[in-house]
Amino acid sequence: MTIRERELSLLITSIVVGLLIAVQSRAFTDVASVFGRDTRADAFRELQILKKSNEKLEDEISDLQNQLFKTNDQEESLKAIREEIEKYEMLSGRRDVSGPGVSVTINGKVQDIWLTDMTNELLSAGAEAISINNIRLVDATNGFDTIPNGEIVLNGSILKPPYEFQAIGDKATLRSALEQPQGIFQRINQSLSGLEVKLMEKDLITMEKVL
Amino acid sequence: MKFSEPSFRTQLVFVASGVFIGLLITSQFRSSVPTSSYPSDELAIKKELIKNFLDDQSLLKSKIVVLRDEIGKTQDQSKNLGDQKLIETLNELKKSVGLETAKGDGVEISLNDGVLVKRDEVDSIDQSLIHAADLRDLINVLRSARAEAISINDQRILSNTSITSVGNTILVNNFHLLPPFTVVAIGDTELMSQRLTDVNALPDLYKRQKSKNIQFSFAIKNGLLAPVYNGDFSVKYMKPVNNPT
Repeated sequence: MTIRERELSLLITSIVVGLLIAVQSRAFTDVASVFGRDTRADAFRELQILKKSNEKLEDEISDLQNQLFKTNDQEESLKAIREEIEKYEMLSGRRDVSGPGVSVTINGKVQDIWLTDMTNELLSAGAEAISINNIRLVDATNGFDTIPNGEIVLNGSILKPPYEFQAIGDKATLRSALEQPQGIFQRINQSLSGLEVKLMEKDLITMEKVL
Repeated sequence: MKFSEPSFRTQLVFVASGVFIGLLITSQFRSSVPTSSYPSDELAIKKELIKNFLDDQSLLKSKIVVLRDEIGKTQDQSKNLGDQKLIETLNELKKSVGLETAKGDGVEISLNDGVLVKRDEVDSIDQSLIHAADLRDLINVLRSARAEAISINDQRILSNTSITSVGNTILVNNFHLLPPFTVVAIGDTELMSQRLTDVNALPDLYKRQKSKNIQFSFAIKNGLLAPVYNGDFSVKYMKPVNNPT
């Protein structure tokens, strides 16, 4: 092989290597950008979610039927109305609330999408009330926004790490949902490096009203 | 052609390149996400089961709406019994938790998979599909633009709504939704339009609109409707704190 041919072989090899590097890095970027954020196909997970969801709807129907039945009795009806008011006041953030749950701390810089996703995972696992850095998330609370300097803003306040989520709900269910394989903890750790994500079960979490 | 023995250095370069290429090829194959390998009969059973659950779900949800409506009417009638203030408070709260259809001006957003893509036939990582994460990002942007009421394909979005995906299926309020998605947001049309046209607010969506042909557009509209929430309000663990007054 002459020197020229050798150089040519090296050049071709380098081009092939370069192409492969490019393809490989694109493959990784694509996987991380969108798909690190949702779980992959699971034949039975969907069925589990739907089954659980239908059970909850059946419970709600049973509660509503009870409530309708109580409307026949004036005293019972008034009591039911007061209970309903109390429930909606809690849900809309008009009452201080408390209950068991979990506290999740993300220590490190993250994009607002991860705060959206963590909130979503907590809700999906049945969280009844959520706050982040002591700001309660209710319908009246604005979404996460990133300002030009990269800081995350929620409801007019700048959120700084560590981001501490508090969620009222079933402690064990919340923990297992977050820590499951391909769950949000695994997805965050796979997509971002140098983060510390911690979960603590709590017997009593208190959240102040926001309205 | 003149052959000469390559030097040790050249041999080393070739060996290192070969190994590197080999590693790259290996990792390339490993990075591809596995596609479903369920036999077709299992998939058919799964589809049938899901269909049954969804039929039940639709029925249960419509039952909830009817019951809430009936309770509301009965409560309104009891205004005559001197509970007017209480009923007014209740109705105001119902409105704030999405138990009343919201009407007003706003934006209507259309989102759809790429023109040629078939959702059932591609892997869940396909970038031409609309993903749950896309809907979450969109809802977050609308909330930060102070939308007063939001719905996706007639499912009312509340602060307790989860938007998840399992494979290619998107669940909103645990209800199975398929594209095309129509998102209705009632509120300040100017502010919402500004946020929706900001590429930095929805970087992934805009990137894929350009490169992967996903369909994304919005229009300002008058007299939009966001339907009443038809899911459950499960409150088992949260209790009110009764502050001393």
